[in-house]
Amino acid sequence: MKHIFNIAILALLAISLSFCSRDNRTRNVRYMASTDMYTPVSYETYGTNPNYTNGLDAQAPVPGTIFRGEVPYEIANTEEGYQLALKTLKSPLEVNDANLANGKAMYTIYCTSCHGDKGDGQGVLMQREKFLGIPNYKDRAITEGSIYHVIMYGRNMMGSHASQLTDKERWEIVQYVQKLRTDLLK
Amino acid sequence: MKSVKKHSLVNKIIYLSLTFLLFLNFNVSGQTGNYDKGKQLFNVNCAACHKLDKKLIGPALANITDKRSKEWLHAWIKDNNALRASGDADANALFKEYNGMPMMQYPQFTAQDIDDILAYTSGKPKEIAQNTAVAKVDPKVAEGKQLFQANCAACHKLDKKLIGPALANITDKRSKEWLHAWITDNNALRASGDADANALFKEYNGMPMMPFPQLSADDIDKILAYTSYVEVKADVTQSKDSNLAKPKASTAWMSIVLGLVLLLVIVWIFVKSNNGFLKIAATIFLLFGIAYLGFGALFQVGIDTDYQPIQPIQFSHKIHSGDNKIDCQYCHSSAKHSKTSGIPSLNVCMNCHKSISEYNGPVTSDKDKAFYDGEIQKVYDAIGWDKDNTAYKPNFEQVPVKWILVHNLADFAYFNHSQHVTVAGVTCQTCHGPVETMEEVKQFSKLTMGWCIECHKTTEVKMKGNGYYNNIHDQLSKKYGIEKVTEAQMGGQECGKCHY
Repeated sequence: MKHIFNIAILALLAISLSFCSRDNRTRNVRYMASTDMYTPVSYETYGTNPNYTNGLDAQAPVPGTIFRGEVPYEIANTEEGYQLALKTLKSPLEVNDANLANGKAMYTIYCTSCHGDKGDGQGVLMQREKFLGIPNYKDRAITEGSIYHVIMYGRNMMGSHASQLTDKERWEIVQYVQKLRTDLLK
Repeated sequence: MKSVKKHSLVNKIIYLSLTFLLFLNFNVSGQTGNYDKGKQLFNVNCAACHKLDKKLIGPALANITDKRSKEWLHAWIKDNNALRASGDADANALFKEYNGMPMMQYPQFTAQDIDDILAYTSGKPKEIAQNTAVAKVDPKVAEGKQLFQANCAACHKLDKKLIGPALANITDKRSKEWLHAWITDNNALRASGDADANALFKEYNGMPMMPFPQLSADDIDKILAYTSYVEVKADVTQSKDSNLAKPKASTAWMSIVLGLVLLLVIVWIFVKSNNGFLKIAATIFLLFGIAYLGFGALFQVGIDTDYQPIQPIQFSHKIHSGDNKIDCQYCHSSAKHSKTSGIPSLNVCMNCHKSISEYNGPVTSDKDKAFYDGEIQKVYDAIGWDKDNTAYKPNFEQVPVKWILVHNLADFAYFNHSQHVTVAGVTCQTCHGPVETMEEVKQFSKLTMGWCIECHKTTEVKMKGNGYYNNIHDQLSKKYGIEKVTEAQMGGQECGKCHY
């Protein structure tokens, strides 16, 4: 009888001590870690995949293919391309409130950090002197074509934002930037 | 008391030298441009493509007035196309050097504006120390620091060898006259047969240092003053990054002590006491205690709250999202359309870090500037960016960064980010906690089924502005006789919604 109690006391001690030793740099104990359904068996978005030569599950699209919903952009990433877009490229979207509202939402996420809420170049990163030389939209002769082209490819120190936005969202931002620019020019 | 005394003396010196400097400044600004105004104009108009100390899209502009005439610079800045069209050889050579990429024209600048900008690039009327940290320093040292950073820092550091030798306390090693001669024109010094100069030249494999004839004797003195000055480390009193380990540990200790006392009492009851009732009570207590703690332990299996793995790059959400207010979705851009929130690929990092190659924010005792610079360098190493030439390395094989998954939702439960972020408009912080304050990310929520259901039960569904709910909302409010609907009432508690 006494033995059982001794063992029980030891067990209690061991269990209560096990709570104190949790190290948050490693994962907690998992029950049947490899066979339960906690960790996926299927290939996950950012996982590894032995079927590809570089071992990554996230693959770049095959050259020459277009993924669904995307519109191919044919103008080249050159100075001539910029001039061409500036003069000829037109938005396929009609100007309406829904487009402008989403344009504003997307602008707030992807552009305000540098270009500022009003498009005057006074974003947080400019004010904190992290990223300098951001122009005011009103000082630049930009058209909807050139805005789209720059979002697509970037220009000078601005990088391309094509990977973060869909084609429609890019045009919505263009619409909103045009609106900001007209407001600034008033 | 001592420190107060010291302070007032330092203040006196600063006031005196500032007054002197102001006077000097005034005289100089009469002839050339206004440094501060020039800085402002430069930051707004030029800094997108030019830096003072290194090449960006266009050439480095520090002391450009020594290289080109003032008239030429005025003509170039106002309308470089016209200048090139006029057949100016320099202008056309420059255009060719930069692969025919034209610079913008600035016809809106007045001659005074351009003078201001040039005054800033030549950095001659020095910036008066503005912030308190610099104000404590001898102004000569502060100016020396600026000169050093503009002219020397490309190849020299104070504390370690870069292209050239480390320069801290160089005046102890070489005479002042020698240093003046060397800095102004080291070629001439070597030609004159100076042994030290030639030995140095040999030591650095015959790589010549740039001559700096444009630096006046006074400038060089200032630079030397800076190199011999021991910089007081910036305040290390920065709040330690959300380190909650200590208070937690103290409560853990208290419970351990309590538990041990309780155990001793129980052991004493079994060993020493003859009271039968006490023994039965203690047995029951022990059994329930074991059951409680045992089940508690079992329920912790697979729960990873506070999990904070060491990531390959110590990316600080606090700096990016907290201090610089970058939206979560700027980097996690697929959260709005996709099941996963998206781990940003390195091209997204490079949107800012092409320009920002070093960290200049506050440091803590264990994470200094060199640490953060090293973390940025890891991004460059992975994507193959050459920060000195500001270009991608040709034929570089990029390496993926192996980020460690923090939040693992069990595979048998379906979760979709876009449904929560875009449709429901739930903020990221609701589930991920105050990530914008985290130096290193850790898991905030339990990610258990109870936790999901709790939120579905209490969160009201946003019906406004969502056409899908126009009909269904009317039906639901009739059926339940209520105005507002929670996610659970719409079927958010059905098994098949998440488990299928």
